[in-house]
Amino acid sequence: MVKSWKPFFVTILIVLVLFPFIYLLLLSMSSGWAFPQIIPSNFGFDNWKAITQSEVGLFTALMNSILIALTVASIATFGGFILSRIVAYHKQKNSLILISYFPYILSPVVFGACLSFFFMKVNLFGNMGGVIIAQLIISLPYALIFFGSFWNEKNRNIENLVATLGGNKIVSFVKVLLPLAKGLLLVCFFQTFLISWFEYGLTAIIGLGKVQTLTIKVFLYIKEANFFYGALSSCLLIMPPVILLYLNKRFVFNRMS
Amino acid sequence: MHLEIEKISKSYGNEEVIKDLSLQLEANKTLSILGKSGCGKTTMLKIIAGLTKPDNGSIKMAGKDISDLSPEKRGIVYLYQEDLLFPHLNVFENIAFGLRIRKENEADINRKVNEMLLFLELEKQAQRMPHELSGGQRQRVSFGRAIIINPSILLLDEPFGSLDSGTRQRMQHLFKDMADKFQITSLLVTHDLKEAILMGDQIGFMKKGRLQVYNSRDEFINDPQTGVQSELHFWEGLKNEKTEQL
Repeated sequence: MVKSWKPFFVTILIVLVLFPFIYLLLLSMSSGWAFPQIIPSNFGFDNWKAITQSEVGLFTALMNSILIALTVASIATFGGFILSRIVAYHKQKNSLILISYFPYILSPVVFGACLSFFFMKVNLFGNMGGVIIAQLIISLPYALIFFGSFWNEKNRNIENLVATLGGNKIVSFVKVLLPLAKGLLLVCFFQTFLISWFEYGLTAIIGLGKVQTLTIKVFLYIKEANFFYGALSSCLLIMPPVILLYLNKRFVFNRMS
Repeated sequence: MHLEIEKISKSYGNEEVIKDLSLQLEANKTLSILGKSGCGKTTMLKIIAGLTKPDNGSIKMAGKDISDLSPEKRGIVYLYQEDLLFPHLNVFENIAFGLRIRKENEADINRKVNEMLLFLELEKQAQRMPHELSGGQRQRVSFGRAIIINPSILLLDEPFGSLDSGTRQRMQHLFKDMADKFQITSLLVTHDLKEAILMGDQIGFMKKGRLQVYNSRDEFINDPQTGVQSELHFWEGLKNEKTEQL
C-alpha cells in the first residue's frame, strides 16, 4: 500500500503559516518571560486589559488607526472612482495615468521627507489631517489606477444610453454606474484601507510622532524591546484586516465569482 | 417635417467623417441607411442624439432647433448593437428604468411595463435577470426599455447585428410591428442590404461621410453604388447556371 505524504505536508504547512500568529497571541498574553525561563512567569489577559488604560495609549492608537484608515479608504475609493472617469475620458489620458504612478517611484519615507516642507507651510505637520492627506497621496492614485479598466467602451456606451433615456449624470452614477462597480468599489475600499492601516513611513514623518497609530505603536514597542506590548499591538493591528478579509471573501469574492 | 438636419459636418483631426449631411424625416416613418463600416453612420447617429457635437450644421425637431440641447433633454433614444441591459436590474426594472427617471407614479409604471411585457411576450421573464435571457429576449427588453418612454425619435445602430439569422428575422418583424403600434419615428443604420430595404419607409445610402436619401425604393435599387444591382446579378447568374445544368 502506497502511503500518501500529502496530509503530512499540508499539516506542516498549516502549522508553519499559523505559528507566528499563535505565538504572537501567546506573547501578547505573557509578561515577565526572561531567559532562561521556559514558560512566562505571568500568563493571562493583564496586557489586554491594559488596552483601555490611557497611559499605555493603545486604545487611542487603535481609534486613530480606525479613523484614519476609514477616512482614507472612503475618500480614496469614491474620489478615485470619479477621478478615474475624468482621466479615462481625457485627451491626455496616458500622460495623466503616468503621473499617477509618481508617488510609487520613491519610498514612502523619502516621499514624506520631500513633502514635509509643504505640510509645515500649511500647518498640516503633526496632526491627523496632515496624516490623512499624506496617506491619500499614496492611496488615491492607487484607486485611480485600480478603476482604470472599469471605464471601458461598454460602460461608456451604457452612460450614453442612460443619457438618451433621459438620465442626467447623477442618475447615471447613482442608478447605474455605482451598482455596476459595487464589487470593484468594495475591493478598492478594502485595499486602500489596508494601505492606510499598515502605513508607517509617511505617518511617522508627517505625524511627527504626535499622531499615534497602531503601526507607530508597534515600532515604538519594538524599539523599547517591550515585545509583550509589541505583540499585543500587532494582534490589534492584524484583527481588523482579518475581519475585512473574511467579510470581503464572504460577500464580495464569492458573489463576483 | 419631424426631423430636419441641415448641413452637418464633423472632422476628427484632418479626417472629415461627416460631410454636409442633410436629411428630412416625417413623423412615424423609418429611414434606413445603408453603409459600410467606417462610413460615418455611427457618428451621424451620435450627433443626432447629442452625444457628439458637430462642427457645424443644425438639427431641428418639429421645427424647433435642438442642436444645443443635451442628450437627456432631446427625447431621442440611441440603441446600440449590443443590448446594454443593466445587469443589476431584472427585466421589469430594465424596462421601467426610463419611467422611474421621469418619476412617474408606481401604478402607471406597473401598468405600462406590464403592457410592454405582454406585447414583447416577456411576461414570464419579468423577474429574470439579463444574464438568464437569450440574445433575442435581451434585444426585446432593450427595445421595450427605449419605446416605453415614447421617444421623439429612435436611433438604431445596427441593432440586429449581433443576432443569428433566425432571431434577426423575428426581431425585424417585431420592430416593424412595434413601429406601427407605438407610432415610432426611427432612423436605422445597417450594413445589411436586405435589412435596409425591408425596414425602411425611406432608404438612404452613406459613403465616406456623404448621405444620399432616395425618393423611392426603385431609385435605390437602380443606383449601382448601393450594391443592389450586383447582388441581383449574382443571384440571377446562380439561377441561370442551375437552369443550364438541368
